[in-house]
Amino acid sequence: RYVRQLQRLQLLFSPTAADSRGARQFVEEAAVDFARQHPDVVLYVSPRAGSAPLLLAEYLNGTVREELIASKTSEEIKQLATKLAGQSGLDIIRIRKPFHTDNPSVQGQWHPLTNKPSALTVQGPRLQLQ
Amino acid sequence: VAKTSLTSPPWPEVKLPDPVEEAKYHTEVVQKVNKMIATGQYGRLFAVVHFASKQWKITSEDLIMMDNVLEAECGDRIRMEKVLLVGADDFTLIGRPLLGKDLVRVEATVIEKTESWPKINMRFWRRHNYQRKKIIVNPQTVLRINTIEIFPCLS
Repeated sequence: RYVRQLQRLQLLFSPTAADSRGARQFVEEAAVDFARQHPDVVLYVSPRAGSAPLLLAEYLNGTVREELIASKTSEEIKQLATKLAGQSGLDIIRIRKPFHTDNPSVQGQWHPLTNKPSALTVQGPRLQLQ
Repeated sequence: VAKTSLTSPPWPEVKLPDPVEEAKYHTEVVQKVNKMIATGQYGRLFAVVHFASKQWKITSEDLIMMDNVLEAECGDRIRMEKVLLVGADDFTLIGRPLLGKDLVRVEATVIEKTESWPKINMRFWRRHNYQRKKIIVNPQTVLRINTIEIFPCLS
């Protein structure tokens, strides 16, 4: 029961600019392999002239992450893409606890009165047989 | 001999029960627990697992984050060995220090492989014109514990 959190990967690059050479090589060589290895991710490739090459990743939460791929080799772009595919859409901020449970206590949470004899069993000066 | 304050030790003297009776009692308890496990009279199970050089107390359907890279891909099912303790509502099984693999089964799936938030590592000496800044990003993996199962093969 595993659902990949990445919805769409949009690759924007321009067919002539020099810094999107790695993006063009990636599209020629590795894009088809990537799409086959991750069958539940949709990969859009849109050549656009005039803007810097970008890799847009949309997740099921609705968060959109943009990564610049200007002057990067196609292998680096592939690694980036796999990294983005493994992430989920949560914000990358400091998390306070490395664990999260919905049911933290199974045998009942400890309070200072567990494992202590109750007032009925304690023998005091007044609670003897009358 | 007269009894002083140092004749007997200050802690209360504990009488150990007869070893034969103890063995009988032990077998009784073990059979009871086995029966309970076989009939399935336990509710939620929790376990203490040693994983990634840390000990975690886990139940089913909960999330755990490691600060390293596992060799499994996203969506892989992982079986965790090195279980130290298993407990339910009425009984607990304590291992010395580990429990057997044919007793407990803990399964988890790799959900996410991300990187941590960018941590800043800066060194600065005053009046010496020395400062170095480095941004450290650790790879992390997130696991979700699917099931914890026990089998009635105590002895």
